[in-house]
Amino acid sequence: MSERIKLVAYLAAIVAASWLTSPVWLAGGLLVTLVLCGRAGPRLLRQAVLATAAFSGTISLAYAGYVWWSLHRLPLDWLITVNLRVLLMALLTFLFITRVNLFQALSFSRRLSFLLVLAVSQSLVLKRTLAEFRLGLESRSLRPASLSARYRAAAHAIAWLLDRALANAHESAQAMQSRGVFK
Amino acid sequence: MHIPDGFIAPQMYLPLYAAAAAAWAYGAKRVGQELDESSLPWLAALTSASFVLSFIALPLPGGTSAHVTGVGLLAVVFGFWQAFMAASLVFAIQALLFGDGGITTLPLNALAMGFAGAMAARGLFLALRRFHIGLALFLAGWIGLALPALLIALALGAQPHIAASATGEPQYFPFGWEVTLPALLIPHALLGLGEGALTLLGWRLVERLRGRYQHV
Repeated sequence: MSERIKLVAYLAAIVAASWLTSPVWLAGGLLVTLVLCGRAGPRLLRQAVLATAAFSGTISLAYAGYVWWSLHRLPLDWLITVNLRVLLMALLTFLFITRVNLFQALSFSRRLSFLLVLAVSQSLVLKRTLAEFRLGLESRSLRPASLSARYRAAAHAIAWLLDRALANAHESAQAMQSRGVFK
Repeated sequence: MHIPDGFIAPQMYLPLYAAAAAAWAYGAKRVGQELDESSLPWLAALTSASFVLSFIALPLPGGTSAHVTGVGLLAVVFGFWQAFMAASLVFAIQALLFGDGGITTLPLNALAMGFAGAMAARGLFLALRRFHIGLALFLAGWIGLALPALLIALALGAQPHIAASATGEPQYFPFGWEVTLPALLIPHALLGLGEGALTLLGWRLVERLRGRYQHV
């Protein structure tokens, strides 16, 4: 199956899952997706749970508490349906990330592929340098930095980030021009 | 905290996708008539900057921190359409490459934060800068965070009204506006003060480097 067909299948599965309101269908969908995950199933399920736990957990606990306080019962239908749906859709996304090369899936548009490759590669480099900035600030003092020092550091990091991003854009443009990418 | 897939009803996210697609098509046209060797790396650089901005922790009194969206700063420094396109690409990359956020919440985030947030920030900055540039920048940063929070609170609070079972039970996000509006607006109105301060500081530092930029 080509990457593009996999992308379309993923999007169709996400839309279909989002319409489901029956816990039985959602559980069935989750089971089928786990089978499709194969041996990576437990790892992907764990990733899906971790990625959604903060939001889903907060909302589920708050809603369960609210219904219990006002109606003296638990909203079990809602808790099961929504949490199954969230888990199914997150698992589908992690399966997509693992199995599909997004850069190839978007290869129907040469410029979109270039844009994605440039943005992602630059993002990863900038993110790593930013982490080094943070470690640098922490290493310069035995005590935690003051609020004003942290603000100044954040502002300088942002200015550096924008400066670096623009320099990268200039370099990439020159590289593309010299190689005749758009000819 | 990103909203995962499954909380926004398709009755809302499908029309939002149609609206966002129209804005993306027009935005792509505005950013560069067609992406070429100068506009494509430029958009990629803005996207990566916007993506990494979201990893910068904004210190708050009391030892906690919030994360910068950077939409206000991008809008005042580079312009509305550039900020909107960069923010949209960031949400897509976060959802499809890192599993952070959702593909069904992408149009809501793009329209609320990227479109409305950037437009309000840019508009407020342009309207107020002749009176007091510092205040204009601070308010641009604040509105760039507070307005999207209002719009997302309205969208989340609408879920029980647009997708309920026959017995009236919610099927997606369960809380109405009476909960979502104060829950999102109060903290974001406060967090916006930090974003405003950072927009002001970021702008001043960018001004010092302005000579190096070709596109600003």
